[in-house]
Amino acid sequence: MSPHYLEIFVIGLALTLLMADAFFPAREKRVIAWIGASGLAIVFGLLFVVDPAALPPDTIAPYYSADPHALFFKGLALIATIFVLLLGCDFMPVLRRGINGADNDRKGGVAESFILPLFACAGMMWMASATDLIFLFLSLELVTISFYVLVASMRRQVGSLEAGVKYLLLGALSTGMLVYGITWVFGATGMTKMSQLAVAVPGMTDNIAALTFGSMLVLAALAFKVGLFPFHSWIPDVYQGAPTPVTAFLAVASKAAAVLVLARFLDPFLNNPEIAAKLIPVLGVISGATLLFGNLGALGQYNFKRLMAYSSIAHAGFLLLGILGRDFTLVSFYLGAYVCMTLAAFFAISIVRRSVGRDDLSAFNGLARRNPALAFTLVVSAASLAGVPLTAGFIGKFGVLMGAVNAGYWPLVAVAVPAAAVGFYYYFKIVRHMFWEKPDDLEPLPVGRLSTTALALLTAGTLVLGFYPRLLERAIQDAPIVPIPAATANTADTP
Amino acid sequence: MVQLPWLLLLLPLATAALIHFALGGSGRLAAWTGTASAFGMLGLSVSLLVGATAEASPFVWLETGMFHPDLEQAITLSLKTDRLALSMMLVVTIVGALVHLFSLTYMAEDKARPRYYAGLSLFLFSMTGIVLAGNLFMMFIFWELVGLSSYLLIGHWFTKKSAAEASKKAFLTNRIGDFGFLVGILLIWGAFGTVDFNALERRVDLGNLPLTGGLLTAGILCLFAGAVGKSAQFPLHVWLPDAMEGPTPVSALIHAATMVAAGVYMLVRISFLIALDPTAAMTIAWIGGGTALLAALLATQQDDIKRVLAYSTLSQLGYMVMAVGLLASQAAYFHLFTHAFFKALLFLGAGAVIYCCHHEQNIWKMGGLAKRMPLTFATFAIGTACLIAVPYVTSGFYSKEAILDSAYAASRPLFWIAAFVALLTAFYMTRLVVVAFLGKARSQYARDAVEAPTPMAFALTCLTLLSIVGGFRFFAEAILPRGFYPTFDSPHHNFVMAVSIICLLAGVVASFLLYRGREKDPLHITPLRRGLYIDDLYTGLIRLFQDGAAAVAAAFDRHILNGFFLGGTAALTQAVGSVFRRMQPGSLHFYLVLAALGIMLLIWATSTV
Amino acid sequence: MTLEHYLIAAGILFCTGLFGMIVRRNILVIFMCLELILASATLTLVAFSRFRLTSGLPDIDAQMLVFFVITVAAAEVAVGLAIIVSLYRSTQSVHMEDLHTLKG
Repeated sequence: MSPHYLEIFVIGLALTLLMADAFFPAREKRVIAWIGASGLAIVFGLLFVVDPAALPPDTIAPYYSADPHALFFKGLALIATIFVLLLGCDFMPVLRRGINGADNDRKGGVAESFILPLFACAGMMWMASATDLIFLFLSLELVTISFYVLVASMRRQVGSLEAGVKYLLLGALSTGMLVYGITWVFGATGMTKMSQLAVAVPGMTDNIAALTFGSMLVLAALAFKVGLFPFHSWIPDVYQGAPTPVTAFLAVASKAAAVLVLARFLDPFLNNPEIAAKLIPVLGVISGATLLFGNLGALGQYNFKRLMAYSSIAHAGFLLLGILGRDFTLVSFYLGAYVCMTLAAFFAISIVRRSVGRDDLSAFNGLARRNPALAFTLVVSAASLAGVPLTAGFIGKFGVLMGAVNAGYWPLVAVAVPAAAVGFYYYFKIVRHMFWEKPDDLEPLPVGRLSTTALALLTAGTLVLGFYPRLLERAIQDAPIVPIPAATANTADTP
Repeated sequence: MVQLPWLLLLLPLATAALIHFALGGSGRLAAWTGTASAFGMLGLSVSLLVGATAEASPFVWLETGMFHPDLEQAITLSLKTDRLALSMMLVVTIVGALVHLFSLTYMAEDKARPRYYAGLSLFLFSMTGIVLAGNLFMMFIFWELVGLSSYLLIGHWFTKKSAAEASKKAFLTNRIGDFGFLVGILLIWGAFGTVDFNALERRVDLGNLPLTGGLLTAGILCLFAGAVGKSAQFPLHVWLPDAMEGPTPVSALIHAATMVAAGVYMLVRISFLIALDPTAAMTIAWIGGGTALLAALLATQQDDIKRVLAYSTLSQLGYMVMAVGLLASQAAYFHLFTHAFFKALLFLGAGAVIYCCHHEQNIWKMGGLAKRMPLTFATFAIGTACLIAVPYVTSGFYSKEAILDSAYAASRPLFWIAAFVALLTAFYMTRLVVVAFLGKARSQYARDAVEAPTPMAFALTCLTLLSIVGGFRFFAEAILPRGFYPTFDSPHHNFVMAVSIICLLAGVVASFLLYRGREKDPLHITPLRRGLYIDDLYTGLIRLFQDGAAAVAAAFDRHILNGFFLGGTAALTQAVGSVFRRMQPGSLHFYLVLAALGIMLLIWATSTV
Repeated sequence: MTLEHYLIAAGILFCTGLFGMIVRRNILVIFMCLELILASATLTLVAFSRFRLTSGLPDIDAQMLVFFVITVAAAEVAVGLAIIVSLYRSTQSVHMEDLHTLKG
């Protein structure tokens, strides 16, 4: 089976559910989430049977690649979406309160909160495969526009709407930069295919100014999606305001897809010595500044979701450091680990929010006594986010730092190591709240069976990857980041 | 294909997990599962020793420059299954299995048996890890794990305040040593580029070391610090006597036979490094000799049967460390091997006595037990004979002679110290036997005591046999690595033996005359009873340091931090945080300006014009 | 008219959009400025396409992107206006100064 059917299947599923909900509204919206999640699980299974060689060579293959990185990220996007749908099920009571007319099923509803993630998931899967800038732009926009709606979906809460508007305006700005940047890259090279760019750009000497100009605009747009300084500013507000499942989705899947695209896009430019000489210091400064802003900004936070936002900025800095180290297998591993630990943290936030009604750090006071198992999973997740040995997060950070050391980026290491150390402080703050602070009430905190399973899986993932990191490496097989089919390499027309 | 060494390592871990997660409700099932697994390990280690393939492929955990096979700086979990490791494994599993057996009765009444057996299995897992570790890094991981399981087991009766305190003290004291150990490992890693034992040994054989002089001494002594903590050498010896708060079978397994010997085992493993540096070696030897003397002195004035044995363990470990320092690591390891059996025997014997006297541990409240518990007495007496090295018939004699021989050859002062320790050993062990087993019963419990039940008696008998044959050439040579069994062919051997026999007789006779028929201790030397005030000194130092640090911190807080920020270290992070909060004012306008500036900066920074 | 003329015109359009985003405080106006940026991108694309002739014909790839950009912009406007209207309903304002619940 050709891999491009995967996305078609996901889109088909999403459209079917959308129509079904419009014409035969189900009383119990949970069903939609269940069907969606099981459909995605089937697609995830199909991921292991698709045959990249079966791509139609003339119609699809020039725009779409199914290299190991793309397949890995498709898997990541699918897993993240499945977990987000489950998280949404858990979060439904809060969602209902936040949406006009969702209390009575007839008028508006929460169904979109379960269907739009499917569209976004298809978009992210396409992003992972896109090897043409036009196609990349389209898939990125599919993701972004779905997220505009999702972020603002709790229409009764000003916070959600405000987050939606902020995301909308800054997102639209990044769209503008992306298009304008693609335009200039095209203008300088006459190409929109990444595989052609990968061949042509490293040796280019004319039109360098136009090419750099275009690539910087694209870099800015992608930096915005990834959350790199100085385009990170939307992240704390939007993460805090958006409904928790959407925040988790943004933090995990949207970032992962954007990181892959960033790595793919930058690779040819880093291979051109003339551009790289300017690009590498710029990326280094961005990475260092992102690390500082993320970690230091997190210090003063009291809201868990906002803390996670800064933590996600900090991780973006590490990821860019990994891209600079040119070890994309490691970057993929880092993202896999990041998905596990971040999703676990958001599950915990959602559970606590549902029963305590807040997502401040103080809502977690005494969690160790109210629900030791939940506290344990959160400790594992925080430990991994901070980078404690034997967790997945440690391997990621260790590898990135080692890569930077091997590449000789000493100033960056000098920034990254203290930044990581600062990270221990604020992740430990979470642990302190759970174990040492006195709770308001000592009632045991119930966790649904669904969330228990999800949390167990995510925690196990975090620990297993920490103990046996080569598991993921096997999935990625150290493939080159920009797949260059033999055919395109020959026919690439130089400007 | 299943590789036996990996199976041996993972079996106890699986058992611990099984007991902890699945058998939490049933003490009986947990007990039998744990015991079966321990005997399974014994079977595995015997089969490995008699010639099953001991091959174990390494497991690469983490590589620097991850995923790049060309960089050979991998952190590997590799097993080293040479004869040293396998013989040590045999000791660990024999004592482990017998202690499990003994616990079946000893812990039968305990309410938290699943926790106890899970702890024992976890301990066996970590100990196996230390023994089979192929590199220092892996050894360190299990070193920490062994500390953790020891903490859990000492504090098994954690509702008792003294037990909780003791477990904490053991854990914290070990941390100090472990910190040194870690620094040492990093030093070695930094200098040699590897921590693998085989690779290190090859590197040392090549000569032209990357680490010389004071730095080499420091590296070795840092590694030795780990052994000082784990094997309870002076000045970190204070945790071991307190660790006797744990259940007696635990004391037999962990705090007499195996875990505390791990420090010595590690020193034997790195003996090729110690041999490089005479200064470090001499320091190690003197610390060992000093500990042996100190502990033997303290043992003469203890009233608790387990504390006497604990100090004697310290003293014997001191012997071993001294031998390592005198570059006679073969003798040290041989003594470790024999000592494990007879010390486990003595502890289990003490356990049987305590069990039959309803948890009475004061020897002055016992007495006359020889008649009521003849088998226990016989085995205990044989154990004592081994410890005080009765010539020719006991294993302790051979191993102690080996150490004394090497001490005589290497350093006269240390030899005389060792001889004096032998005298003291004979003295305090005779005192223990005379007071506890002979004479009249001095309490109701002692009068009512009956013989130990069958599983206990069986375990004692097995260990008695091993204690005797453990030193004989036919037995020991079959198990120990080649060349580890002493030859006793040095010219001064007869002199050394004469000295040690005189010491033995002097100690036994003096003690017998002094303690026979006494109702209470005729000697009362307060400094020795109080452990030469070392504990008090530490408590005082800690308090002084804490108070001092608190005072300094408070002053710093009040006069410096408060002056600039608003109240203490918390304010510093708050201040940094609030700076960044102010950079995130929530204003969309600001975000747009920031993004626009960002784009312009990006373009400006990369523009070629 | 050369390629440069079109590019400069498009550049002015882009800068106007960016400048408007920075100085204006009304969310609707900002949204219109964003459309200006997209328009400048389409103009640039068409210019590049028109002046890069492959075998006598303009480059189709770029013109294809133009149509996609227009479509995407329409979708973005549809969703964006809906969100802005929702915001207006709940706060009775479309001014940026009134967005201040999330900060710090």
